[in-house]
Amino acid sequence: MNIDPTIISNIFGDFTPIAPMIIMILGALIMPAIYLSSKRRNLVTGAMLAVIIISIIINFVLLVGEYTGTYAELFTYDAFSGLMILLFQTVVFLVALVSAASTETTRLYYGAYSSLLLAATTGMMFVATAGDLLTIFLGVELVSISSYALVAMKRNDPRAAEAAVKYVIIGGISTALTIYGISMLYGVTGTTNIADIATVLSTDGFSWAFGIAMITIIAGYGFKIAAVPFHMWAPDVYEGAATPVSLFLATGSKKMGLVVFFKIFLVLFVAGSAVASFATVEMQYVFAIIAAITMTVGNVVAIAQPNIKRMLAYSSIAQAGYILIVMAVMSEYALTGGLFHMFTHVFMKGGAFLIVGALISVGIGEKISDYRGLAKRAPFVAFAMLLFLFSLAGIPPLAGFTSKFILFSSAIYGDGGVMTQWIWLAFIAILNSAISLYYYARVVKAMYIEKGETTDKIKIPNAFAVAIAICVVFVIILGIYPQLILDFCSNAAAALFA
Amino acid sequence: MFIEYTWLIPVIPLLCFLIVGFLGNKTPQGGGYIAITGAAIATVLAVLVSCEFWTSAAYSDVGYVTQQITWFTLPGGFTLHFGYYIDSLACLTMLFASFIAMLIFVYSLGYMHDEGVRKRRYFGEVSLFLTGMLGLAVSSNFLEMFIFWEIMGLCSYLLIGFWSFNHPDGDAASENAASAAKKAFLVTRLGDVCLMAGLFVLLFAFKTLDYADMFTEEALAAVDPNMIILGSLLIFGGVIGKSAQFPLLDWLPDAMAGPTTVSALIHAATMVKAGVYLTARCFPLFTQCSWILLWVAIIGGVTAFFAATMALNNMNIKKVLAYSTLSQLGYMFLALGAGGYMIALGLEQGNEALIVAGSAGYTAGLLHMVNHAFFKALLFLGSGSVIHSCGTEDMRKMGGLGKKMKITSITMLIGSLSISGFPFFAGFWSKDLIIESVMHASDFGEQTLFLILWFLAIVTAFMTAFYMFRMWFMTFQGVEGVNAHHTHGESPKSMVVPLCILSIFAAGLGFVILFGFDNLISIGENAAGNLQVGSGEGKGFEYITEIFGNVYTWMTIVLVLMAMGIAYLMYSKKTMNPGKFNKNGESRLYHALTMRWWFPQLYDQIAWKLGYGVARGVDFVDKNIIDGTVNGISNAVIGGGEILSKAQTGNVRSYTTVVFGGVVVFFCVILGIFWYMGGL
Repeated sequence: MNIDPTIISNIFGDFTPIAPMIIMILGALIMPAIYLSSKRRNLVTGAMLAVIIISIIINFVLLVGEYTGTYAELFTYDAFSGLMILLFQTVVFLVALVSAASTETTRLYYGAYSSLLLAATTGMMFVATAGDLLTIFLGVELVSISSYALVAMKRNDPRAAEAAVKYVIIGGISTALTIYGISMLYGVTGTTNIADIATVLSTDGFSWAFGIAMITIIAGYGFKIAAVPFHMWAPDVYEGAATPVSLFLATGSKKMGLVVFFKIFLVLFVAGSAVASFATVEMQYVFAIIAAITMTVGNVVAIAQPNIKRMLAYSSIAQAGYILIVMAVMSEYALTGGLFHMFTHVFMKGGAFLIVGALISVGIGEKISDYRGLAKRAPFVAFAMLLFLFSLAGIPPLAGFTSKFILFSSAIYGDGGVMTQWIWLAFIAILNSAISLYYYARVVKAMYIEKGETTDKIKIPNAFAVAIAICVVFVIILGIYPQLILDFCSNAAAALFA
Repeated sequence: MFIEYTWLIPVIPLLCFLIVGFLGNKTPQGGGYIAITGAAIATVLAVLVSCEFWTSAAYSDVGYVTQQITWFTLPGGFTLHFGYYIDSLACLTMLFASFIAMLIFVYSLGYMHDEGVRKRRYFGEVSLFLTGMLGLAVSSNFLEMFIFWEIMGLCSYLLIGFWSFNHPDGDAASENAASAAKKAFLVTRLGDVCLMAGLFVLLFAFKTLDYADMFTEEALAAVDPNMIILGSLLIFGGVIGKSAQFPLLDWLPDAMAGPTTVSALIHAATMVKAGVYLTARCFPLFTQCSWILLWVAIIGGVTAFFAATMALNNMNIKKVLAYSTLSQLGYMFLALGAGGYMIALGLEQGNEALIVAGSAGYTAGLLHMVNHAFFKALLFLGSGSVIHSCGTEDMRKMGGLGKKMKITSITMLIGSLSISGFPFFAGFWSKDLIIESVMHASDFGEQTLFLILWFLAIVTAFMTAFYMFRMWFMTFQGVEGVNAHHTHGESPKSMVVPLCILSIFAAGLGFVILFGFDNLISIGENAAGNLQVGSGEGKGFEYITEIFGNVYTWMTIVLVLMAMGIAYLMYSKKTMNPGKFNKNGESRLYHALTMRWWFPQLYDQIAWKLGYGVARGVDFVDKNIIDGTVNGISNAVIGGGEILSKAQTGNVRSYTTVVFGGVVVFFCVILGIFWYMGGL
């Protein structure tokens, strides 16, 4: 495709690198006004979708046109940030689409809700473009503070308030840890720009202060991606929040945490890997162990969950563990696989959450046992759920299989051939993927094999049906034709490694 | 001209799956006719493609035809394809798989007659199952093969558990079917884990997964031999799972909980044959290192022996057949292992004669795969006919059915003769060639080992003849059993006709060896790509003199006849009391066999005690250490927060403790790693 990004840069001028965010911010500011003047949730949703679509179009033109640019030396738009912005936009599009139709989301504060949703997305997009620890920090805080409020905004459910308070406390601690680490890093290197830090460190080498800074930053952002042992808030918060918000957190906020990991640690350690005293190999082992433990704990604990939202939450933890393989392997190939898996994960996990949300909206509970006989009551929904779960478990030829194939295979690829160093990690990952089928199959069994109490047909809201259909289409297409996005992923990986 | 349409072979059953799945209940027989038509078209296509391949000189020079489209390109320049790869192995596999599947589908019309609306599900799933097998046979690279391999695994899970919803025999049987399906799925997935890791190794070692590019002398020479060994072993791990070889053999007997037609499909046409196919397919890789094939042979021999012993005293007609499948699969791996061992040695030493001798073993293994497909399909469908008519699987309740079910009885007799290796029946030729090639392999090193394997093979042949005829006599001869009284005679035509067709093949298929079967299949240029192994000169009628001029052949024949005689005396004439040998079921050996050599317990120990223990442990840590028990500490650390502590979903105070606990643990882990690696 030949698209000329000058169409956009003619309009936005110097602001072109942050053009998608500008649209989002404007949207976030307008939404409460629209709601207050009209009091119609559907109108707000329509406006929200319009804003998101405009932002997507701008970003898409920039991405396909291979635009690169920097705004105020703080925000850099390149193949990597463009792709991640697209990911966050996709997530918020799905969430916005179903927010009004869901019976869980707030009715009274819908203007604020939509404003916060767009603001949080803007934060994620800023993180994707940031090249400086402080801008990353600010972006993450924008997301965090917006999502605390989003979690609290749920209709008639005391669990939401509890979840929000928990989320605030955990989030506060993680922020404290992060800012502590960043300030130490600043003390050591005298800069907060990641590239500059890498340069300074590659001459100074590894020091204890740097090590402690790394640990606190890993721990702080480890909470965002819910890596074990920083994962315990995730199931409670996902369960307590309205399902569209859970979707937003599980597929969007978590991906932002991973982007932060890639931006800070991948860049730092890959840059420093030439220096022997930089301890890159040791850090690779640290990440490998976190990855292995995260995926194992996520999968094993998911087996025991009777609540489907908690099960999906633990499965998200496991998926984050898979993507952390990238941090252990630290290769361009692995990053490509990781980015691709992040995309497929949006559609399969997002799709599964959408179905849960849709069913809650028509009065079906969150327990797996509530799904009995669903295949008779709602054949399309049951079939879509089957596809999402099988895709998550990595059954070919769905998207999850292709992305897992690339991601897991990256663990034994290095220097143009087989690298046996991480073969155990690949093995644990494949084994985990096999285990995960066990608990996904339980849901499938409940839907298709077990008898329900009733066979009354279910009609899910149209907005949900559309969103689910989008996810189904992508879960199938990305499995059969992964090249659709794979080239973008490898370009993005190349951009980050450059 | 037909070969270009090879891609249709798996696609047509796939279309049938979709049509049956969506519209099945609107068509007669729940889509049964659609499934049969699909299998028939696939069979015809397979025949046309094979004929064209085998007759055209243009193809026989190269040994394969392949055509593929790009699926996706990975960073690093790895291109993954989708396409077909036709060589004699692919032809052979798709021929027998499609033909037998078609007969089984026809038979299912009668057998699944009472299933009502659930027939749609049945015929849809078996069509998809067939897609898996045919796709596997014609796929052009390992990744494509793996996809179909997984599809087959999924279908076997669905079909074994077909009755987990409402088994005709009640709730206990439903439970049994559900757990059997789960076991089959999980055990084979364990093998799949190895297989997938093996694919990764091969992908990066060879930079491609296409058969045509991998199986060339240059490619094999260019790759690090250790990577080939690693990849081969991992792939064989997948084979062990799928083909139920030692030590992952226990899921197959349990899989009998599915409908008998499904057992016939799994055992004869699809699933377990996929493992044999993959081993034969990977021969160019395996033969790079002789001890890999030594392991293949050992695992095959041990499985053949152990499975046969477990069939000796089983009272369930389907279980006896299940163990016999394991045992015969063991034979195939034994043959492939022994033959491949000789080829590998021949390649190492540059010894042409050794390679030719080895390709005889390869031929024997593949011939046995085809023969077994026919006689095992026949035996399963025959047992299905018996079960259909007397409503039990317990052979003690049958007996004397021979008069009431003449055709079933005769066709089953043909199947039993064939599997026992009675002269001139199909099984005889392949089994004799297998035993001979094991004997032959002992001449070239590892003498003791191959002699032991040869001895196991001979004993297994004896046991096979015994338990098959024990089964036949108990079912069809002697006094009428409880359930035999109220049978309603012979089964319907749709069931009997496939039996007759299969029995013709089970009786006469072995003669292909005299008419140049080894020419078609010789490992030569055909099966091993461009390897140029073996001459591919068919021996034809020389086999007769070779086989019957061999004293060991006669020894085997005598053993088989003896075993049949003992079975006759014990279970038909009843002049010999089996209780005398097993102390009326009290002997330790008998107990061991009844307990299936404690394999199920072993699995339970490993799976439940270990696996579940780990799961429970992690869950405990997560719930109690991370969620709960820290409450006490957290009370001391952070006072108040009483309102929040009443949370249903967890406890905030403990969280904050854990947050810092987590950081400390994490810090310690990092320190440990740095200390261990001497980083600082």
